[in-house]
Amino acid sequence: MLSLDFLAGFTIFLLALIMVVSMVPGLLAGLESSGIDYDAVAYRTGVILVEDPGWPVNPPWEQYGRDHKDEIQRMGLAVSKDTPNILLSTKVERFFENASTEDPFFTEDDYHNKVIFGDYPYSYNISLSSGNDLRQAGDPLPPGYGYIRRVVKIKEPSVAVINQIFKSQYTIPDPSDSKWNSTARNFTVRLDFSHLLDPTVSPAYRIDPRIEPVNVTITDFGAYLNNTYYDSATLKNVTFWKRDTTKPGADPAPIPFPYGTVDSDLYTLNVNGTQALHSLKPEVSVNSSISLVLKPSATSLLPLDQNSILDIRFNFEDDPPHTNITGIHHYDYNMTNVTCTDLKTGVLEVAIW
Amino acid sequence: MARMNEDGQWIVLMGLLVAVALFFLALIVNQSALVGQTTAEGVLEFPKNDIRDLREAVFDYVRDYEALRNNGYDDDVKNDVIAISLERKNAVVNFAVGEKRDVSGRDLRPVEIHYNNGVTEYDETVYY
Amino acid sequence: MVNDTGQLYTMEGVAAGLIMLLTAYIVISTTSIYTTGDTHIPDMQLEQLGSDVLAMMDTPNSVGGKNQLVEFVNENSGNDFKETFLKYCNARTSGDDDNLHMSANVTYRDVSHGNEIKEHQFVKPPNDGSWTGRESAVRVTRWVQLDYQNPPSRDPYGSRAQAVLVEVLLWRA
Repeated sequence: MLSLDFLAGFTIFLLALIMVVSMVPGLLAGLESSGIDYDAVAYRTGVILVEDPGWPVNPPWEQYGRDHKDEIQRMGLAVSKDTPNILLSTKVERFFENASTEDPFFTEDDYHNKVIFGDYPYSYNISLSSGNDLRQAGDPLPPGYGYIRRVVKIKEPSVAVINQIFKSQYTIPDPSDSKWNSTARNFTVRLDFSHLLDPTVSPAYRIDPRIEPVNVTITDFGAYLNNTYYDSATLKNVTFWKRDTTKPGADPAPIPFPYGTVDSDLYTLNVNGTQALHSLKPEVSVNSSISLVLKPSATSLLPLDQNSILDIRFNFEDDPPHTNITGIHHYDYNMTNVTCTDLKTGVLEVAIW
Repeated sequence: MARMNEDGQWIVLMGLLVAVALFFLALIVNQSALVGQTTAEGVLEFPKNDIRDLREAVFDYVRDYEALRNNGYDDDVKNDVIAISLERKNAVVNFAVGEKRDVSGRDLRPVEIHYNNGVTEYDETVYY
Repeated sequence: MVNDTGQLYTMEGVAAGLIMLLTAYIVISTTSIYTTGDTHIPDMQLEQLGSDVLAMMDTPNSVGGKNQLVEFVNENSGNDFKETFLKYCNARTSGDDDNLHMSANVTYRDVSHGNEIKEHQFVKPPNDGSWTGRESAVRVTRWVQLDYQNPPSRDPYGSRAQAVLVEVLLWRA
């Protein structure tokens, strides 16, 4: 039989316990567990994007297609690990490819697993602006978020512009000589990899056809035409030839390549300033300009290494020949031969919530 | 009060148990609020930018090493870096440049860099 | 039924209740709420931004191009340095520009006066009222190598080849 006193004591205890338990939620008032590390995650994501070239490096992650993108472990935009804050334009383009459309190259899961990391499904907004370009990936910004801002410079690909300044250099001096009997006229752009991949040039300024597009633009083509009554020449084909610097006497070998297919992921060939894309066997009349952009995904298909020399041969064929263009244009670090674009300043912002 | 009735002691024990549980809970809450702080402090504390900057300064020095040595300025510049580091950056810094030697076909100088700011120590030998 | 042998239960209950309430009061009154300033997160963001801007100013845009930071220090153009630095710092990808302010010193070693470390004020703090009552400032630094310069010598560094430290104080208004 419970005594009254026992009940009294127990009641007082229980009342006090109830009061204490009702005060416990106030203990957790200052705590918001998931929001505590937004800034730290944003900082880490910023470092991965700006100071890390990504993994794998060789072949670089930005050259993996849609069916192999699972093999990418980390997406970083830096040119190399020795050049932090210098971003490579091809990596930037791939990272933001189609980001705001219905079919982005990288899905939300890809960004989570390859850039942001962590078990919690953070929402993100990554934006990069340089000059007038603005690229964005992610959701619109909410009222509160973790944030980091980095200042970067973006390395753009170089261009070899062959205009009328080179006319005397690249025109046949004695066209009536018997050695120029055939109707073919060849103009070669030579990329000497052992010279281009010079380790004394910092990766921020290096021309590396394996990671950046090679752009050859022939303008003022009218200056290379034979006489005033020829107003165009026929570009028959563009072919690739390989030489090896370790065997200097050997002849160049032709490289097999899908010359007949138009594939804008591999190269773009525009003629006379029009938007129409041609294959590498265009058989088209050129009167003003030719612009060939060879993308790094195509260069990776060619069997080249650090000691190779790649010759891009433009073959013009007419009977009788409409142009007397000839010669070899060296794609190197000489400023008259190749215009190296300056590094462009940009701002990268990462928001995580 | 011959023998005290101690049957009610279990009530006090329960009270003590609740008090200890509360204390433990408060400890967890207190420590978890530090997560954000220590992350940012850890980032602030590691001298990433200082070390990178020092390396760039040493590489600039090595690039001009021959010209500096011919004019007798190489010790001056090196002592500049060491003295200013100690005074303004609170870091003990030292670096040494050796003679050129052949490294996989190129002539490079071995450079030793030492950095210590009391919390982080960094030593590197690199060919440049 | 009511006797004083049960009083001990009551006493125990009161004692237990007292312990719990006292602990709860002490615990709750010591919970601290951390502001973002306490966690030093804005300091970290500012420091990384300032270091980035100095590093980018120290990078020429092409091989053999001019190095903005070295030029500014050589020619002692504090105003140009301030304008360029703030332009890079305050740029954002969307929306309005940020509101950061700066002041800068250059630290050099004076060999002609007993190897003293001296400071030369490169960019004066602004006198538009934003120097006081501001949030805590962050200091970012960058090494600059100055080449030998023919006379007339730079003021105050002298004409010898030397390494100087550019220190920038950065704060949010």
